[in-house]
Amino acid sequence: MRFWHKILLAVLALFIAALDVSVIMVMKKSWQLNMDSETQRAASEQLLIANNIYENLNSIQTRGTRITPILLASVAQSYSEYYRKQGIHLQLWDNGQRVYPSRAGTPASPDSGTRDPAELLDEQSIQLSSPLPAPYQHLQLVYQRDISGLFAKQQELSRFFVMINWIVGPVLLLLLYLLIRQLTKPLKLLSETSKTIAEGDYSKRVQLRSKDEFGELALNFNRMAEAVEHRVTALSEMAEDKQRMVDNLAHELRTPLTSMQGFAEFLTTANIGEEEQQTAGRYILSETLRLKNLAFKLLDLSVLRHQALTLRKVELTELFQAVEQSEQPKLADAGIKLHLHHTIPQVWGDADLLASYLVNLIENAIHASKPGSTIQLLAYEQNGDAVLEIRDTGAGMTAEQAKRVFEPFYRGDEARSSEHGGAGLGLSFCRQIAEAHKARLSLDSVPGEGTSIRLFLQLHNNCPLIL
Amino acid sequence: MANILVVEDERPISDLITMNLKLVGHTYSKAYRGPDVFDMLEHEKPDLILLDVMLPELNGFEVMQRIAPLQIPVILITAKNSLADRIKGFELGADDYIMKPFEILELLARINVVLRRSEKSTSSFICDTVEVRYLERQVLVDQTPVDLTVREFELLEVLIRNRNIALSREKLLELAWGYDFAGESRTVDVHIRQLRKKLGWEDRIKTVFKLGYRLEVQV
Repeated sequence: MRFWHKILLAVLALFIAALDVSVIMVMKKSWQLNMDSETQRAASEQLLIANNIYENLNSIQTRGTRITPILLASVAQSYSEYYRKQGIHLQLWDNGQRVYPSRAGTPASPDSGTRDPAELLDEQSIQLSSPLPAPYQHLQLVYQRDISGLFAKQQELSRFFVMINWIVGPVLLLLLYLLIRQLTKPLKLLSETSKTIAEGDYSKRVQLRSKDEFGELALNFNRMAEAVEHRVTALSEMAEDKQRMVDNLAHELRTPLTSMQGFAEFLTTANIGEEEQQTAGRYILSETLRLKNLAFKLLDLSVLRHQALTLRKVELTELFQAVEQSEQPKLADAGIKLHLHHTIPQVWGDADLLASYLVNLIENAIHASKPGSTIQLLAYEQNGDAVLEIRDTGAGMTAEQAKRVFEPFYRGDEARSSEHGGAGLGLSFCRQIAEAHKARLSLDSVPGEGTSIRLFLQLHNNCPLIL
Repeated sequence: MANILVVEDERPISDLITMNLKLVGHTYSKAYRGPDVFDMLEHEKPDLILLDVMLPELNGFEVMQRIAPLQIPVILITAKNSLADRIKGFELGADDYIMKPFEILELLARINVVLRRSEKSTSSFICDTVEVRYLERQVLVDQTPVDLTVREFELLEVLIRNRNIALSREKLLELAWGYDFAGESRTVDVHIRQLRKKLGWEDRIKTVFKLGYRLEVQV
């Protein structure tokens, strides 16, 4: 049963019940009031008749006539005939003996007009009886008033009431249906939206701009959906990153392993000449070295992650010289110049790690640059930080590449060919070095124009207290 | 036996594959980048392509899509072990899928299966005075038919298809008798002796110390 069904039925039942109960109570009250006034009228009329009969009897007695039952009956008859036109029946009893109307005087017949008045005592009449005033207290006057008109009126009212029920019910049903459908529309909307979200479309939102509880619910619901979407996106991105890393690691491991295993098999099982044996041996050696490099780089990364660093004063002149010396052969091979410039004398850091940081980045820059271009290695102060910057005018990166470039095993070259460089751990190692220095790393790159990577270190004289 | 195009950007692996292909008598050509494949296909149509998935510029899947109309059988070689990749490969019409690192014998076996299925496999092999006809399952020495048992013929075919490569007795059992054969490795020795005698190949089928047997044929 839907919610709006429940509301509709409950309101309908309640409303009709309330209406009926109040109408019935009003009718009952009006009936009671009518009856009271009829009863009162009957009582005063009966008193009047009793007094008149008393007066009559009194005057008859003063005239000296004896009061006989015949006389009594005739007196009663004269009154009775007068009042019968008004729907009033009278009886006169003497010491428990009915004197009017006499049992013998009228033949028994089934029609109501001539029936025994005592048997007229049905529901549609008021009956009162009281003794006459003394000295006639042995005489009892029974007064019976027909009120069938009142009953007919009441019945008419009841019929009207039932008719109103039949008309009001459906009209009410229709109005309630329209009203409740309108009021529960937001609920339907919410339900539909949550269903869509449950089916996996996390970008769906409820479009509801009302200020009531539903509006509030919709607002909170949207907030919840947003949070869920955010989480789900973050989770799936994380899973993707992880999958990519695993894929890349797999490639880095499987490629040299394939060659090593294959050439070792080749050497031991194949019927080959000396020259081919040499080739196979050389490949096994070079691929073993490749795997060894990978293993050591991974080891370096892991050591760096788990080892606290002791920061010391690093002389930039010495650092730059060391870096230039170690990179000179590669720079010369590629025909690229290295321009060194520093405006601050020292930074705060680990000299060996900073040297490998710079060497890694310079090697990347060499791969990206064309022969004849210049790579700049700069050190300067900016907003209280010591900045180490490496700037090249090489190929640059797209925004997508720049986002992932610090991921372990990320390579700009999707084929991951071994022609240029290694496993794609260089920049991730650099990031690790930056983190160990608690230094910020920033990368700016424009495709076709070049890349600049800056490391924000502490100035050596700034904060010597952190050790 | 067959002309095979090897598309692999890692030079060591490319050389490894081609050196082994040469050993068992296939001819080959090499491509190191995705787009090179199309240039090479304009000149000659190989019987089979061994295609690496991770290639520079155009990856293996994209290459497959472009060469699909040529109907050349393709075996994908990849370092990725994901089911999604494998399904994608088969959906694009790959005939088989082999994962790095692989055993050379496994690669050769898969190549043979694909070649046989596409009927690009050669129907006979001639060496010295011996002629082996695969379809008729017949062996002629000096034009005279020689009677070989079913097992001997299977063994001979395995030796020829993996010629110049030493095969252990276990490997021979696996390849010629089938995986579930619970025989002894001595069985192999008996059959090898029979083959040598029937074909006069005492020198061709070499015993490789500590390894097994090798059919030696000039490359």
